[in-house]
Amino acid sequence: MIAGLLVPSHGMIEVAQRPVTRPLTDVGIAFQQDLLFDWRTVLGNVMLQADMRDLDRNAARAKAQILLERVGLKGFENRRPWELSGGMRQRVAICRALLHDSSILLLDEPFGALDALTRDHMNLHLQNLWMLERPTAIMVTHSISEAVFLSDRVIVFSRRPGRVVYELPIELPRPRTVEMRDASEFVRFQHQLRQAIEVPQ
Amino acid sequence: MSDLISRVVYPSLVFFVLILLWQFGAERSLFPAYILPAPSTIALRVWSTAPIMFGHAIVTTLEIMCGFVLAIFLGVFLAWMLAYVRLFNQAFYPWLVFIQVLPKVALGPLLVVWIGVGFLPKALVSFLLAFFPVMIDTLAGLKSVQRDYVFLLRSMGASRLKRFLYFELPHALPYIFASLKVAITLAVVGAIVGEFIGADRGLGYVLIVATGTMDTVLIFVALVWISILSLLLYALVCLFDRFFVSWHAAARHDQIRDAA
Repeated sequence: MIAGLLVPSHGMIEVAQRPVTRPLTDVGIAFQQDLLFDWRTVLGNVMLQADMRDLDRNAARAKAQILLERVGLKGFENRRPWELSGGMRQRVAICRALLHDSSILLLDEPFGALDALTRDHMNLHLQNLWMLERPTAIMVTHSISEAVFLSDRVIVFSRRPGRVVYELPIELPRPRTVEMRDASEFVRFQHQLRQAIEVPQ
Repeated sequence: MSDLISRVVYPSLVFFVLILLWQFGAERSLFPAYILPAPSTIALRVWSTAPIMFGHAIVTTLEIMCGFVLAIFLGVFLAWMLAYVRLFNQAFYPWLVFIQVLPKVALGPLLVVWIGVGFLPKALVSFLLAFFPVMIDTLAGLKSVQRDYVFLLRSMGASRLKRFLYFELPHALPYIFASLKVAITLAVVGAIVGEFIGADRGLGYVLIVATGTMDTVLIFVALVWISILSLLLYALVCLFDRFFVSWHAAARHDQIRDAA
């Protein structure tokens, strides 16, 4: 809805003070599935963003290589998606979402299909990538620890119909580290969120 | 090594044993020569008529290629229209299926009345037989696109044309190539049958002449040429398939099997 791909049933969405009435293009999106193209290489998949937007290919390729290197995929540029693990594929998808320096990054449960340990790694990778340009990032997740680890602000939605029930600013310094997951503040944020979600009937 | 035996040696063995049995039967006159001539007789005749037959084969090949290429382009184009132009789909889909239900070979005489006995009616019958599988499979390929991919491309600001060229077409390619394997054999049938109806050259014409003169050996010669032609064209499609959709799951499966 933020990207203008679906129409809200009520209300209106504004991005940068302007109502969203048609698909936004100044966004980078990563979906639940990685949506890579099997007929393109890893680098080619990231470059799809440049091909669709007619960006300068040389500059885009250089940027793509930087992004891939940041998430530990250097040397995999010419592999095909099916040769990669699920976590690697999703990293490629996120690199693709970041290639064009958009001001908004939308992440729709991109790590939902990954196991917990891979997910923790992916969170670090994502933070790494995000720190390059620091776009406005909005992420949907079902993982409380992922939400606390990555966010400046966590917004809790209720079950259907989805309504905002709670909002929590996460005041932790960046870059956040793995050790911080066990810090008392981190655990306290997690606890607050869990209570907001599990509303006793 | 054992792989080589199972894939080359065994089928060849079956072939040679059958030919030997056939030759043996012919020499012992177990069946009359005008019904089933000896393989050696056929082989000699293939050799002696090769220059003339080659000319006929070229004519038929051109008819097939013309019909086949037309079938690819029109098949893909119609599939595209059916998939993305709703009004076209609603108005024409039933009729396109109806055309498939018609025995298209039976349209041959009509085509001859309309445009004569030249090259064109053969290519058209070939096209008529070949285009339907291409259209239906391409349509299936275009329709099996996941919605999220479309969302992704729209968020990238991709134009309609770019979405087709960069995503929908490559996505449909494995379907298209599967249909081309069916279509090429049908295109061969179409051209031959087209020549049956009225022609003065081509392999189908040779078949008709040979039947008229009860020249069984020549019938077999024509069949040998048709089989080889059909096989070569099929192999060509497979080659293109391997080249263009090497990334597809089916091709990957082959690679894994080859490596194992």
